[in-house]
Amino acid sequence: MSSAKIEPMEKGFVFGLRQSLSIVVGYAPVAVTFGILATQFGISVWEAGLMSCFVFAGASQFIAIEMLHQGATAWMIGLTTLIVNIRHVLMSLSVVHFFPERSRTWSLGLAQGLTDETFVLNSRILKEVAEEEQRRRIMLGVNSGAFASWVIFTVLGGLIGKWLPVQFSGFQFALLALFIILTASSLSRKNLMTYILAGILAVVFKLLLPGKLYIILSVALAAGIGAVWKSRNDKLNH
Amino acid sequence: MNEINVTYVRYPPLETIGLREERRIMPIHFVETIFLMTLVTYGSRVLPFLLFKGTNVQGFVRNFIELVPIALLAALVIPELVTPGGSVVVLNNPYLWAGILTFLFARKIPNLFLGILFGMIVYWGLDKLMLVFH
Repeated sequence: MSSAKIEPMEKGFVFGLRQSLSIVVGYAPVAVTFGILATQFGISVWEAGLMSCFVFAGASQFIAIEMLHQGATAWMIGLTTLIVNIRHVLMSLSVVHFFPERSRTWSLGLAQGLTDETFVLNSRILKEVAEEEQRRRIMLGVNSGAFASWVIFTVLGGLIGKWLPVQFSGFQFALLALFIILTASSLSRKNLMTYILAGILAVVFKLLLPGKLYIILSVALAAGIGAVWKSRNDKLNH
Repeated sequence: MNEINVTYVRYPPLETIGLREERRIMPIHFVETIFLMTLVTYGSRVLPFLLFKGTNVQGFVRNFIELVPIALLAALVIPELVTPGGSVVVLNNPYLWAGILTFLFARKIPNLFLGILFGMIVYWGLDKLMLVFH
């Protein structure tokens, strides 16, 4: 009957929130692990919660607590975070076209919750929604659900780590496992050479240079060489 | 030594810290760290929203930004797997073998939760096993 007409009108914040459940399921174990590791690295539950609240970017938070634990300076951690999180520029660039009429406030708000996961989900859902106002509300719902779960499960993990001092050496491998799983899903024929180059450079630089410098150097060099090579190929093909 | 001053003391240099050493994270340093992390992360998210209507970058810059994540994954993972203690180890190295197995597992079963669980358990098992046989 008329339900087919009404349904798209009803899509809004709550619809987005409900869609975010699939992200929540994935975030929960990662955030709990982050909370546990943070407390094991000598960071308090509230400090871990604050970091999740302000930064809201998984991989960089794991790296940051490890670097804090090893005694790195704030600047070094900031620089590493920039390298890890610069990819958000690309994701942000590719969602802004959904919101041509957005206000400054909407810009500031929608950008806050943009992560790898919310980006993928939003890109998929927003394509189907005709009206911009609705798209904004849906994205806000998706982002809010993901954000809330990330913070809540971080605190939960922190409390678990604090009250149950689990002696499980597997936690040492949690972050690496996360990165390896991300690698498994993003490695392709197009970027394999850059991956191998970055890996070799990173091992060599790590053996030669102090601290975590090797990360920034090998990433910049490998991505730079890969991009030059790809740009040249693109030109040849046109 | 006055206890209150401890809050303002900087971290000692990297070499003097044992990994297992227990201590409190210092608040000032922590606030600085969170501030800088938020600045660069939120900055990367919000700048395109503030500067662009809906255009995309092209050419070298786009290719570069697209390749950063995969290069980063290599730089974060491969040195940790190959040189966990500071020099190259192959055989008696639970990191390397747990890493390879986790990769194969994730290729078969693309589920973040199961993958992390698998990786941690395999690492724990190999770590125990290699201690026994060492």
